[in-house]
Amino acid sequence: MLSLFAPTLLTTPALALEWLADYADEGVFVLLFGVAVGAAVSMVAQRNPLYSAISLVFVFMALAGLYLLLAAPFIAAIQVIVYAGAIMVLVVFVIMLLNVEEEERRRPLRLRLLVPAAVVMAAVLFAESAFILYFVHDAAAERAQAAGASTVGLTSSIGAGLFTTYLLPFEITSALILMAIVGAMTLARRASDIRPTDVVVPGSMVLARHTLTPEPDVDSTPVHARSTGEAGRELGLAGAQYRNEEEE
Amino acid sequence: MIPLSWYLTLSAVLFTIGVAGVVIKRNAIAMFMCIELMLNAVNLTFVAFSSYFRDVTGQLFVFIVMTVAAAEAAVGLGIILAVFRNRESLDVDDASVLKY
Repeated sequence: MLSLFAPTLLTTPALALEWLADYADEGVFVLLFGVAVGAAVSMVAQRNPLYSAISLVFVFMALAGLYLLLAAPFIAAIQVIVYAGAIMVLVVFVIMLLNVEEEERRRPLRLRLLVPAAVVMAAVLFAESAFILYFVHDAAAERAQAAGASTVGLTSSIGAGLFTTYLLPFEITSALILMAIVGAMTLARRASDIRPTDVVVPGSMVLARHTLTPEPDVDSTPVHARSTGEAGRELGLAGAQYRNEEEE
Repeated sequence: MIPLSWYLTLSAVLFTIGVAGVVIKRNAIAMFMCIELMLNAVNLTFVAFSSYFRDVTGQLFVFIVMTVAAAEAAVGLGIILAVFRNRESLDVDDASVLKY
């Protein structure tokens, strides 16, 4: 690694070009490393959630570049499409929808006594990981590298793996996505305008009084009920018949 | 050839920043984004090992993790919407008692 910074190599343009070609990977890695860490720190430091989201998109893009450097083009592509595209658009959409205010300043730290202990434990963890990174060499990885070029990481190899060896996890993933769709729809439905004919899932969040009775002067203490129908009966909403209870 | 340890170092740094963010932040959406950062740090480890050991399993796992992250995003943001609707705030300290 010392030769990376050796100035003697940079004496002639041809040698400089050769040196650049030799260390192009390292240069790209260092650049992406800087972008990823800088954007991650900025994400935590920002107090406006929207700026945090934009910083996170930079982290995702840097990671996609690293995946390309690792010869994993398929993962790099879905990193950009799924993470930077779909998930972050969803997050930004929710931030815009909720009109989130800036985070307030940090409150004074409680439990000051634990700060030295935290520093010591962080130092131990750091030393441990540094030891592993410096002294443990993996012969298996070096042997695999010596075997030459491979197709691992190309879309065909990932497709073959997903539809043969890992078919069951792949199918379970589809069930998971289906559950997530149903769960998100249940959670995000507007609970305040429930009409008597609406189907209400028992145990959903419709439990505060003012969400069930439209009068503004009603106290907002929550109703203890295991289902929305039970809450309606407890509040004396005679007309509040819920279809899921009628069907039972 | 870049040493494997460089990727593992970056992954550890990103994961630590993510953990610090979850501990420091009090805005629910910001905490959610820090969790996404931690998932991405682990994904980087998976892809690095997969690429260095010439074994595609790690990249398939990354695919599954991304699917779980997408499902988590949908459900998590649904929960955030529900909490905001009930409390008019996204500060997690306001929602420390989950019962009401």
